[in-house]
Amino acid sequence: MPAYLTELPIRPDLNETHEELAKRWATTGLWWSGAERLAIVEEVRAARDSEPLAPWESPSAVEGLISEENILPISAVDAIWRITNHPGTLTAEWHASIVGQGLNPEAYVELVGVVAQANAIDRFADALNLERVSLPEPSHLEPAKSPDPSVQVSSHWVPTAQIKGPNVVKALSAVPFENESMQLLSSVQYVGLGDLLSDLVSDQNSLSRMQVEVIAARTSKLNECFY
Amino acid sequence: MNQDAEVTFEAIDNSESGDGGVEHGALLSRLCEAIYNEDQDQLASIKDQVIESAGADVLVDAVAVSAHFYMMTRIADATGTPLDAGSVEPSIQIRELVGVNAFTSRREAQK
Repeated sequence: MPAYLTELPIRPDLNETHEELAKRWATTGLWWSGAERLAIVEEVRAARDSEPLAPWESPSAVEGLISEENILPISAVDAIWRITNHPGTLTAEWHASIVGQGLNPEAYVELVGVVAQANAIDRFADALNLERVSLPEPSHLEPAKSPDPSVQVSSHWVPTAQIKGPNVVKALSAVPFENESMQLLSSVQYVGLGDLLSDLVSDQNSLSRMQVEVIAARTSKLNECFY
Repeated sequence: MNQDAEVTFEAIDNSESGDGGVEHGALLSRLCEAIYNEDQDQLASIKDQVIESAGADVLVDAVAVSAHFYMMTRIADATGTPLDAGSVEPSIQIRELVGVNAFTSRREAQK
């Protein structure tokens, strides 16, 4: 079943990948259960739909902002809101404060992956006035929560695996499932990450590569992302 | 796509400076701004202009690319992703031209 029913000419691969991502959100992760991963997506939606908070304001400190049925740690909720609404203000000290509240560093990486994917997919739907992707029933398997001894903090704030490629492709490498989700989205919404630097001229669907890069760079600037 | 002129960074810096040599560059830049601002009137107007000038398939693909960078920017900024070795020196002039040096994330990406 496609993610969107619309008269707009949404490519089948894009439509199917968004549906696939919703299924992946509902899957048991390495650190979060299917229910918790869907709760992360719901919290992204709550953050986006709420009245704006200043970057230094935590939703957990504002009465009534966090649902009484919330199943996530408060530090996770605060991180989700901040990453969603103020990504350009994040600092190493902020990250340290979040993991310092007991959030496992690899669990944080998985959370970042889901938060980032939900921001992309919902922003697409909202911009085209489409119903946001519906969320499936969660898997009931429990996450293993087994630290990977091969990942370590070296270049990023977060632990990464020793893989080749641009640093942004390494960012989620401690949780390969999320890295795979990022690459699935890249292949239908941007450029296959394997072709990122090897093919700078081919058209991407209805856009030229130069148009793609203008949109990518303009959006990154609006989000105050230096990388 | 026809490249009629030398490609520059105007459409990245803002949407008021021209196409930068990229077909529909300023219009696509305005679309990015409308998506970011989430102003429904502004967005509806720009979407109509994109459909009229470039087609509905371009609108969908352009929104998809822009939306994608709501993921990539959050991954980069939330993980402390540093600039890649070898890209720091060559990108100095570009970073000045597109006006990103004042960002908080600059300090983090250059640590």
